[in-house]
Amino acid sequence: MKKFAAALVLAATIGLPSLAAAREITFTTQLKEYGGAGAYIALYVTDSNGQYQGTLWMAGGKSKYYKHLSDWKRASGGDLGEIDGITGASVGSGKTLTVKIDLADTLIDAGYQIHVDAAVEDMRDSPSEIVVPLTSSGAGQPAAGRAYVQSFSYSM
Amino acid sequence: MRHSVLIAVLALSTLGAGAALADDDCDSPMADWQPRSAVQQMAEAKGWTVRRIKTDDGCYEIKGWNANGDEIEVKVHPATLEILEVEIEDDDDDKEGDGSSSISAPDAPGAAPGQNPASKNRLINKNSQPSAVVE
Repeated sequence: MKKFAAALVLAATIGLPSLAAAREITFTTQLKEYGGAGAYIALYVTDSNGQYQGTLWMAGGKSKYYKHLSDWKRASGGDLGEIDGITGASVGSGKTLTVKIDLADTLIDAGYQIHVDAAVEDMRDSPSEIVVPLTSSGAGQPAAGRAYVQSFSYSM
Repeated sequence: MRHSVLIAVLALSTLGAGAALADDDCDSPMADWQPRSAVQQMAEAKGWTVRRIKTDDGCYEIKGWNANGDEIEVKVHPATLEILEVEIEDDDDDKEGDGSSSISAPDAPGAAPGQNPASKNRLINKNSQPSAVVE
């Protein structure tokens, strides 16, 4: 019983506030009809100083190709532990990747930036193709990429 | 994923080092390269069906099928035709990226239900599962 009470207290003081302070954000990356193989896409976050904070999603299943997401690789050190459990299929030409993630409120309107790196087999790598601030006013505002990304936006 | 520079091969003694460095490239000068026909011949001698021979990271890379009909990707030293890596593609290979697919981050073995396995990742809420859809 003591343990149960302690668990309740713990949940009230630690768990619940952290749940309340997070919100679901949907990141939508629509690709151009570039006509090549499936694109590898890395979504990751840097702070106001450009320091890497973490990866949100890795689209593309073969780790040997991750080096072509060169800004992500440099920032993250290519640490596969970072993307364990947040890796999915590559994204075909003209397709749209939609990622839903619960993120802490402290990441919003606090100078953090979302980066999108893209790479396609036998085509030019496109590190940091998208770099946009993670702000409540930036939600719903599409950004265009220079190589493979037709449009990137997020909603919260 | 174009490479303009050939990177010297590093002798990787462990898988960990391989994952960290992610380079197992070849460094032979072009003058030493065997012709593609030699690569084709070597592959056929092994009973492989060749779909494509390309160069990647300074090595030859054969894409095709082995004698069992499995889709394979083989990295070959361009000068010696030594087989450096054989990768058998599994059914859920996503390299082509066509068609719709939906992915939820799976639990790691031994992880508590609902707990995100990306424990090293500080951004992901540990009580929720990121999900992604390609369509």
